[in-house]
Amino acid sequence: MGISKEDLYKMKDETLGKRPGNWIRVGYSTCGIAAGADEVFRILEEEAKTRKLDVKIQKCGCLGLCSAEPLVEVNVEGVPHVFYGKVTKDAAHKIMDEHVCQKRLVENHIYEI
Amino acid sequence: MKRILIQDTTGNLKKEKRDLHISFSTQIRDRGLTDQVQVVMASDLGVYDRGLAVKVLPEGVIYGGVELKHIPDIIEKTIVKGEKVEELVVERKNKQMRIVLRHCGVVDPESFEDYVAHDGYQGLAKALEMGPEKVIEEMKKSGLRGRGGAGFPTWLKWNLTRGVKGDEKFIICNGDEGDPGAYMDRSVLEGDPHSVIEGMMIGAIAVGATRGFFYIRAEYPLAVERVQKAIDQCYAKGILGKNIFATGFSFDIEIRLGAGAFVCGEETALIASIEGLRGYPRPRPPFPSVKGLWGKPTVINNVETLANVAYILLHGGESFGRVGTEGSKGTKVFALTGKVRNSGLVEVPMGITLREIVFDIGGGVLDNRQIKAIQTGGPSGGVIPEQFFDAPVGYEELQKLGSIMGSGGMIVMDENDCMVDISKFYLGFCVDESCGKCAPCRVGGTQMLHILNQISEGKGQIEDLKKLSEIAHAMQKASLCGLGQTAPNPVLSTLKYFEKEYLAHVLDKKCPSGKCASLVTYLITKESCTGCGMCARVCPANAITGNRQEKYTIDPDKCISCGQCYEVCKFGAVLRQ
Repeated sequence: MGISKEDLYKMKDETLGKRPGNWIRVGYSTCGIAAGADEVFRILEEEAKTRKLDVKIQKCGCLGLCSAEPLVEVNVEGVPHVFYGKVTKDAAHKIMDEHVCQKRLVENHIYEI
Repeated sequence: MKRILIQDTTGNLKKEKRDLHISFSTQIRDRGLTDQVQVVMASDLGVYDRGLAVKVLPEGVIYGGVELKHIPDIIEKTIVKGEKVEELVVERKNKQMRIVLRHCGVVDPESFEDYVAHDGYQGLAKALEMGPEKVIEEMKKSGLRGRGGAGFPTWLKWNLTRGVKGDEKFIICNGDEGDPGAYMDRSVLEGDPHSVIEGMMIGAIAVGATRGFFYIRAEYPLAVERVQKAIDQCYAKGILGKNIFATGFSFDIEIRLGAGAFVCGEETALIASIEGLRGYPRPRPPFPSVKGLWGKPTVINNVETLANVAYILLHGGESFGRVGTEGSKGTKVFALTGKVRNSGLVEVPMGITLREIVFDIGGGVLDNRQIKAIQTGGPSGGVIPEQFFDAPVGYEELQKLGSIMGSGGMIVMDENDCMVDISKFYLGFCVDESCGKCAPCRVGGTQMLHILNQISEGKGQIEDLKKLSEIAHAMQKASLCGLGQTAPNPVLSTLKYFEKEYLAHVLDKKCPSGKCASLVTYLITKESCTGCGMCARVCPANAITGNRQEKYTIDPDKCISCGQCYEVCKFGAVLRQ
């Protein structure tokens, strides 16, 4: 027997309830992966782990701005919510170091969607 | 803490941007505000051609045309007092609207729970409660039309299939996206596979289908992987299979891979391909709604169409129908590519103008060149010149201009694009992809391509233009399927709007855009040449020789007219004729 409609609502509430306060999303479609999202995702996860940061790194689809891939969306308390485009390995380190830890925006990568 | 974001909206104010950054930083330091304000260089704030733009966060106000003299005012008013500097305020004109892409970039495409958290499968639950008639009624209210290109009303398609009697019915999702430069469907399948599955299931309820097929091209491995994963998750949760939501409704989905033939995007060829036969189209009627897959009633919808369905069920057909124009409702996703600054996917409400798409969302033409035209609809579409850019985007509106909405490819062309070359490219694509079953497409396409090749090599005659449009019209009328019927469109529309360019090729033996290699010669003027030797270094044919004193020359016998020397010369010494 599969789930019922009520189960859907329950699952929705549960998932919303478990949603992390601080999160980073990495565009992980073909366009993003081709531009290096793989590497960026790995770096972000590693940094979060080694520095023991309270931030969840997630994968998501393409937001549409394919020319600015790899695209990373950062939502961390105390800093405005922004998108970083053309994120290099170096920029990925900076996002964790400057944005997440020092609460300062990273230079030269901000894009409005 | 406040943040000042600085952006160069034109692409050529690098120094000014740096100066503004320095001045802002210094003045903020002088006022002792360093701890409260961060000044950052941004890449794109979404405003274009407004000089230097400044955005202040968290207020979100954007100023355009900012110069050094405005800095004290901005700091005093916006940073210190939190007021706006009214005379500098600019509005962001981005008119995107996300319905199809509502979850793309938001949900984790590999998580069932995340999709459910975004109201996933509630449209399905609602459809099961409503029953087929009411679902179709809701779709009728929405006015949704097929997003694969032809624009057939979705509710009507469903209703036709529903009306046909049959022991078994099928629903197919057409994910055989083949237009050059178009990748909307791939993005949706990769970024939000569950919404397409949900749309397909709602369609199945409406028409009475019990099995569904995803036909996805094998060149989209990630899309296939994610859709398969989503299907597996649905089976595990009981969303697919028998007795869904304990309503007695049962439904199964399978994936079938396309092997790369463009013609298999045509519905009858697609059905043949799923059946394991050669991907040949067949004459219609009978339409697939009557006799489709294995002779059973079948409905075929495009990926983007299905991605709209759950939204319509959840939010109501009327609210969907409020977006768009009289004849074209809702939004459309376009793959904006070519000579445009921000290439990528855009989703806009129908009725928006081409100009708004290219300039307000796309950020204008690359390198600030002059825009010439837009190609919409891929190889089945046409070219729309700049004078019609204020026309609204819709199925009928684009058709009136000699193009089509198509699946949603949109390629921006600038002054360096030759229209003969463009039509050669698209026609060449269709000739390659013609299945060869019917003569008008097989022979007509090849003959037209031959004529176009002659023209681009300077061997064209004036009567060739007449011949081109004659063959084109014959192809449109006599071809068996959509491929052949629409293949001449790029040629016809360029002939209509850019006849001058064809005439220049035929009569003057010149290519005004400098694209057709046989009609262009390059030479170096001694007066402007500095002897830097860049041209000689990039020349792939070793046709350029010389030295710093004697300057450089091009050997016309060796030159292959590739134009690389022309691109690389910083002093304008290479001339193109």
